[in-house]
This record gives sequence, C-alpha cells and structure tokens, in this order.
Amino acid sequence: MVSYPVLLIAVPLLIAFLLPLSKKYASSIAFGTLAFNMGLSIALFFNVYGSGKTYEIIAGFAPPIGIFLAIDSLSAFMALIINLFAFINFYGIGKGKDYKFSMLYLLATAGSTGIVITGDIFNMFVFFEITAVASYALIASKKNEKGLEGAIKYMVLGSIASSFILIGIALIYSQLKSLNLYDIASRIQNMSSNLKWISFSFLLTGIGVEAEIFPLNGWVPDAYQGASSGIASLLSFGPSKAAIYAIARILLTIFPYHSTYEIALYIGVITLVIGELAAFMQEDVKRMLAYSSIGQMGLILIAVSLASQGLKYALMAAFFLIISHASAKSSLFLLSKDEKMNGIAEKYTGILSVLTLIGMPPMAGFWGKWYLMLASISYRLWIVIILIFFSGIVEAGYFARYLYRSFGEGGGEEKRYKAAMVTIATFSIIFGLLPLIYKIASLQLWGGV
Amino acid sequence: MLDIILAELIITAIITFFLGKKLAAIFSLAISSLTLLAILDWAGNFGFFKAINLGIESHMNLNIAGITLHLGITPLSWFFSLMILPLFPLIMLYSYSFFKENNGFYPFMMFAFTATFGILLARDLLTFFLFWEMMSWASFLLVYRSRDRGAIISYLVFSTFAAFAILFGIIILWQQNGSLMFSSILPITNFEGFIAIASILTGFAVKAVLMPLHAWAPFVYSKCDEPFVAFLSGGLSKLGYYGMFLFLFSLPGLKMLQGYMSNVSWQYLIAVIGALSSFTATMLAIMQDDLRKLLAYSSIGQLGYVAIGFGIGTPLAITGALFHAFNHAFFKAVLFLAAGAVAYRTGKWKISELGGLAYRMPFTFLAALFAIFALASIPITSGFAAKWLLYEAAIEKKYIFIAPLMLIAGVGAFLYSFRILYGVFLGENRYPHVKEAPKSMVAAMFILILPLIIFVIFPGYILDAMAPALKAAGIDVVKHTPFVIQTSLAKYNTIAVLITLIIAMIPAFIIYKARKHRVTSFEDNYLAGEPYELHGKVSMHAAHNFYKPLEDVSRPYFEPGAIYYFERIYDGLKHLSNGIRRIYTGFVQDYAIYVIIFLLFVVGWLIWM
Repeated sequence: MVSYPVLLIAVPLLIAFLLPLSKKYASSIAFGTLAFNMGLSIALFFNVYGSGKTYEIIAGFAPPIGIFLAIDSLSAFMALIINLFAFINFYGIGKGKDYKFSMLYLLATAGSTGIVITGDIFNMFVFFEITAVASYALIASKKNEKGLEGAIKYMVLGSIASSFILIGIALIYSQLKSLNLYDIASRIQNMSSNLKWISFSFLLTGIGVEAEIFPLNGWVPDAYQGASSGIASLLSFGPSKAAIYAIARILLTIFPYHSTYEIALYIGVITLVIGELAAFMQEDVKRMLAYSSIGQMGLILIAVSLASQGLKYALMAAFFLIISHASAKSSLFLLSKDEKMNGIAEKYTGILSVLTLIGMPPMAGFWGKWYLMLASISYRLWIVIILIFFSGIVEAGYFARYLYRSFGEGGGEEKRYKAAMVTIATFSIIFGLLPLIYKIASLQLWGGV
Repeated sequence: MLDIILAELIITAIITFFLGKKLAAIFSLAISSLTLLAILDWAGNFGFFKAINLGIESHMNLNIAGITLHLGITPLSWFFSLMILPLFPLIMLYSYSFFKENNGFYPFMMFAFTATFGILLARDLLTFFLFWEMMSWASFLLVYRSRDRGAIISYLVFSTFAAFAILFGIIILWQQNGSLMFSSILPITNFEGFIAIASILTGFAVKAVLMPLHAWAPFVYSKCDEPFVAFLSGGLSKLGYYGMFLFLFSLPGLKMLQGYMSNVSWQYLIAVIGALSSFTATMLAIMQDDLRKLLAYSSIGQLGYVAIGFGIGTPLAITGALFHAFNHAFFKAVLFLAAGAVAYRTGKWKISELGGLAYRMPFTFLAALFAIFALASIPITSGFAAKWLLYEAAIEKKYIFIAPLMLIAGVGAFLYSFRILYGVFLGENRYPHVKEAPKSMVAAMFILILPLIIFVIFPGYILDAMAPALKAAGIDVVKHTPFVIQTSLAKYNTIAVLITLIIAMIPAFIIYKARKHRVTSFEDNYLAGEPYELHGKVSMHAAHNFYKPLEDVSRPYFEPGAIYYFERIYDGLKHLSNGIRRIYTGFVQDYAIYVIIFLLFVVGWLIWM
C-alpha cells in the first residue's frame, strides 16, 4: 500500500527527471510540484500534530528490503520547514530559470525531504547523495570563479563525507545485518563495543561535513559566498537542516549514550564559538552569514545532544532553533543579493531576522534560547552556558555592524523576490507566537525517545 | 481588560506604521493616555484617592506559544508606572511637531510602551524577561534610527549582555525554586543563589547606566532623537532601578546576597558604585561642550544617587532614592526635550555655539530653568527634598566615603547646570530670528515640570504613594504629613524651607538691583564684569572653554575611562577573530586533513575515554 507521505519524495523525483521533456515550462512545472509538496507536508504536519502518533510506512516489500518511512513529530516538522521554504524561495527566485536549475532544485528538495522522513539508514545515505550532488551543481550554477571554487571544495569534502557515511553504515550492517533504524537501535548493544564507536565516528564525521560542524566545515564560507543568494538560502534551510536532523536521529535513536552525548556537546560548543568568532571580523556579507550559520548549527547541535539525554526542554529548544535559524538565515541570504538593504521591506526583513537570531521575543529564536538555557541549567553546564552567552554577545556585535553598514537608500528588489524574503522571515514570528511547536515538541518521538 | 489594553497597545503600534505623521502622533497620544486611566483606576488600591472605578483587574494570565504568562499589579509596580508611564503621552505630544515625517518613531515608541507596561505588570520570571527583551528590541530599533555606528553597536551589544546576565540569573532561580513565579522564590543562601542575584543586578546596572556599564550611554544619548532619549533617560533607566528594587527588596535578593557571604557588605558596595558613578560622571559632564553629551553624563551622575539610596538601605535612604528617581524621570525628560527644542530651532548642539535663547524662546527657557532647579536641587522644586533625604541618610549612617562624594557631585551638578543655563539661554543673543518652539513642544515640557513644582510643597504625597510598596517589601515608612517629613536627625518642613528661601532671596535681589553696571572696554578683562560694547549694549558671550581650569586639572584622571577599556576588549576580539579565520585556509587539502583528524579524534575519544 502506498501512503501519501511517499509522494513527498516520489513526485518531485519523478518530475525532476521528466523536466527535460518540457524545457519551456520547466520552471512552472517545478513550481507546481513544489506547491504540491508544500501542501502535502502541511497535511502531514497537522496529521502528526493532531493525532500525536508516529507513522511507519512500508512501501512495496517488508522492511529489510522495501522502502521504509518513519515519521514522527521531528521529521514531520522538518519536512514542513524544508518544503514550505523551498516553495516560497522558489517563488522568489525561480521565475525564468532554465530546466537544469529547476531540476536540480527539485532534486535538492526531494533529497532533503527524503533524509528527514526515511526510516532506513541506507536510504538516508542515498538521499544524502542526491542532495549533495544537486547542491554542488546548484552552487556552481552561478558560473563564475567563486561559484566553481565553492562547488569544488564542497564536492571534495562531500565525497569524503559520503564515503565515510557508507563505511559507517557498512560497519553496522556487517554486525547487525539490518538497515532499519529502529531495528538497529533496538539491537545496538549486540555490536562489539569498538566497532560501535568506530561506526558512530564515521557517521558523525560524514554527516558532520553536511551539517557544517567544526572542523569539517571548510567548504561552508566558500560555497555560501560563491552560490547565488537564492541557493545560499536553499542550502541554509534545506540540506544543512536535513543533516542536523540526521545527526539528531543518530544521537537520539541509535546512540543515546553518555559518551556520544558528551562528544556531540563539546563539538557543538566549539563549533558555536569558532563560528561566531570567525564571523566577527568578516567583511563580506555572505561569508559573514556563512560563519554565523556555522555558529548557529553548533547551537542546534548543543540542543540536540542535550535532547539525547532525554531532556524535553532541549528537544523543544532544537525545534525552535531550527525554525528560527531556517527562517532568519534564509531571508538574510536572500537579502544579501545586494550589498545594501534598500527599500522598507528589505530593512524590516533584515532587522526582524537579526532580532530572531539574537533571540528576541516573540520570535522563535527567543524560545530557542530560553529552552536551551533551561535544559543546560538542568545539567549545570556552567561553561557551556557562559560560552553560549559569550558567543551571543559576539553575534550581537557583528549583526549590529551588519545592520549599520548595510543601511541603504533607494529602490528595493522586484516584487516576487521581496515577497518571498518577507514571507520566509515572518515565519519566525508565526512559530514564536502560536503554540504549534510547543505542542508538537512535547509529543513522543519515534522509537520511544 | 488588561489583555485588551495590551492588545490595544500592540495594534496601535502596528497601525501607526501606516499613518501620516500628524495622525500617528495624535493616535498614539490618545491610546497611551487612555492607558494611564488604568493607573488612576488602581490608585484606589494603594492608599491614594479613589479616582475612577473602571474595574480593571489587577491579575490575569495570558497564553502565547503554549506558555502561560502571569500579569498583575503590585504597589511597587504601581508606583513605578506612576513615574514612567506618563512620560509616553507627553513625548507623543512633543513629537507631534518635532518630526518631519512618520518613519518608524511612533510604532516603536508604542512597542516600547507595551514592553514597559509588561515589565511593570510581570509576575513571573519568564514574563519579566520576555517583556524586558521586547523593550530591548523596541529601544534598539529607535536607536537604529540614529544611523550612528557607535550608538547602534554599543547599544545592541550592551543590551544583549544585560539580557544574558538577567537570563543567567533567572534560570538559576528557576532551577533552585522549581517555579518561575515571583511568589515562589525562596531565600536560599548558597553560592548559586548568590551568583544569580549578582548576575541579575549586573544586567539591571546596564539599563540603570551605573558605571562602568554605562559605556553605551554617551553614544546613544547624544545621537538619537531627543523625544526618545527623554524616554531612555527618564523612563528606561528607571526600569533598571525597578528591577533592582524588585529583586533586592521585594524578592529576597538581599538575603541571598548577604546570607552567602555575610562578611562583605554587598549593600555598601552598591552604594560605593553609585557614589563613584555619580562623582565620575558629574566630573565628566562638567567637561562636555556638546549639550547632549553633557546631559548624558548628567543622567549617569544623577542615577547614581538612586543606587546610593538602595545601597545605604535605611528606610530614609530608600525613600529618598525613590523620590529622586521620580523627580529625575521628569526633570531629565524636560531637559532633553528642551535640548531637542533648541536644536529644532537652531540646529546646533554645541553649547559654545548657542547663546541668548532666553530672549527668543522664553517658555522653553522657563521649563528648562525649573528642570535645572530640580537637577541642581534648589528648593524651588522637589529635587531638593529628595537629595536632602539622601544626604541625611548618608550622614546618619556615617558613611564618610560616600557622603562627601555625593556632596561634590551635587556641587558639580550645579556647575554643569549653570553651563547649560548660561551657554544656551543667556548672554549674547546669537539667533535673533529664531522663534519660540512649537506649542505642542512647550505644552509637553510644561506639563512635565508640574509634578516637580507640586511635590515641593507636598512631598508627603509622594511618600504616601510609595508607602504601600515599601510596606510590602518590609521597609518602614518614614513618618510624614503632606508638608513635613520627620527623620531621626531633623524635620524637613517644606513651608519653613520655602519661607527661608524667600527671605534669603530678598537681600540678594536688593543687592542685584542696587548694583551699578560697570561699563568697561572690550579688551579690559581685569574687572571680569560683563563687558558691554559702547554702542548697542550687547553682552558678550564666552562659553568656550567654560570650566577650563577645572577641566585641565581633572581631564587626565577621567579621560581613559571605561569606554577605553571596552574598546580594548573589542580590539582583543578582533585579533582573536582574525586568528581564528586563519583556520579556514582556503585550501581544500587542508580541509580534507581536518576531516581525517576529526575522525581520528572522535574514534580515539570514544574508545579510550
């Protein structure tokens, strides 16, 4: 039986490969597909939200062989963000783009969605590959030196990463003879201790490259700088968020140990501090935003690692930080098309996004900060808290400078582009005010976490 | 009803985005004055007269993002709302003619108003922090209008620092008490509780511009729109002191501080910080030639007195501190508004470039004069009564370090107020074609000086208003009648003070009238009289290097102040940042090696740890 969440992956993949048949209407068709996907993801989100249940969907054959989807509150939420923002972003940038661009955009979206809704670790690897390959090409699609440089760096590191992920999966499979995440999670104790840790390290390193974790994120500044604004925006809400989801899945479901939690926490803190400090003196806007993204990913990783110890507040913080970072950073990247913030809509988008990232109420970033603090004080992580505060102040410093420098006069962007930017930024307020996330984050995750 | 008021304020803020400038001013003036009805309505509950009965409830809960926010009015928040909230409608009235266009001032002021209201009503830690942060961004957006680099960066960085310091304390309190309600905070005396309260007080000190956390104030106060600065200095700084009072006295903060480390008197430390702050800032204010910078340092200096009062901690001192805070809200707002009015007409900020405006702008002059009386604590206004109480409290406690500093700062306040008075309003009339400030501006300033004049005669009424707040915090109320404040050392009788003042004025007036103007030549500076030109009788104006001898002596000691050290920290961060960016070499080979090292590190950590 094919249930409708499968369509979230199947439809865009199918359409993407059919796009060359109709080159003339490619971007309109892609737009329609993204709209369909968005509708589907909204339906899925409210289905999980309303019933409070997790979904396990098997397409075709029995689990070890067939495609296996596992959808819980976290994956429904991630699917919603990715598809919603992909649609809005494409509305802003997709008009008049050729079929190659539309195709790659659909592939990146479908791949990211696949990562978050699959329940099978090998499928996750496949979707990582799809997303990564589409992203290399999208970054290079600007066809200038910077774009190519970024794409090549990303490609080199991405290839290493995917081979590492594959090695990690192979190690697990060699021991447990299973690829089903839930199955692996329930039998992980049977693995020999050393192999368990080695496979975890390979998985963390491989996915960490995509999730922009320090020191695996060498490609990030160049790729974001080289990519066009719309693609940088896509990268910041799509692939990177899907990768942090994958890390969350691995930490929460498969390896909820104390040692893995500790290492993820420390890496998160280091990533946060290094990213924010590197952004502090960065003159180029896109590079600054890229470094800032690194810092924010570190913050999300801290929340995720705390959540793996069963702290509900940390999970809530992760939800809020993901939405705040996705909406604020994407709109800031869209805004970075010009050096200056021209026009009123641009100015307020910039200010709103910056305030979200700094964590001002009633935006989602505030709740992220708040719950993260509640979670870290429960474990009395004084140094972590102080470093979070320190990097928050550094962040305020460079964003204040950004706001000061980029104040511009004159006409703004074209209407569609502006509308997309403003809408994406507004979601941080919507999710900050409505009790949606509060309720969905208090649901139980798949696998009983 | 409370939720309706809050919703109404937010909706007003959003609507004013789209209105023309006059309409936006009138609309926000009307809505913000309506909210004052709530204060009047609550007046009956706190020993004041029973004014109107609207039935505005004093407690309610709100829900956002799945969280319940607790709001409620207490005697303390009522007294502070009496002090802060009236500023808003008057600032809107003033702004009616001040701004040439509506480009974001009114909406953000309305957001700031909402946030102030929320902070005062908050009854749990989260609500307090939420509205505090809302205040941070609303005021930041108003600072952003200035487009001044120093102002924007320093304000956002210091606000974030303050917010994090407060958040740090709040989460520790939450962890210890298991609840966010104010009412459930227990006086647990351990190291963590101590850190929590110290950190919260540090956060408030930023908004209360206590040195050395004042470093943002000179930038922000001197570059933003005057109506906003009037609120910043008059209202926002009081919120810092509201927080301090709330956590120190109403909540068991003081017990948590003293209980953990009882061998150090933390209250005395607060008083010393306040005294040093008011002394240093006063000395710096004397040196300023920019009118706005002068007023900025003057604010820092005057607000130090409130901290001194909290630090001395006797009922008399706290009464004096709250009274002084009340006065400061009004007189400093008037001074900033008057400075704005002067700049509105002349476009000049430097005192040495102004002069003689008393002839052209008599009403602005009169309002500023009364504000200066209050600032320099001359008994015609209530500024005198408040400082009298503070001096007396310091003397009563025999604080031989603090009392002299306060007195020097008091004299210093007189010196710089005279510089304003002489440099801006008296002397040669340099702007013969300037007109009086627009009517709405003058009206706003005159309404603001009313309380200063009323409460010089009836200081007892202010004590009545703060009495329930003091009682609720377990502090005795100083004995008083409307005219007399009875203290342990003496009796402060307003009638006696006023009569003495008038009697003392008579001989001075006679001497002034009987004095013969000596006309000397322009070059003759020996007599130090007012040099009249032989024809035309124009008094000369010399506001350049006004207090040069004093400045020459004190500048070396005060110049490399806190701002210098914050700039060094900034430089240090720059170097750190540039160093860290070297990690990103730009060579993909290096990045690949990083990946391998990371993998080995994680494997090693997990296997051997």
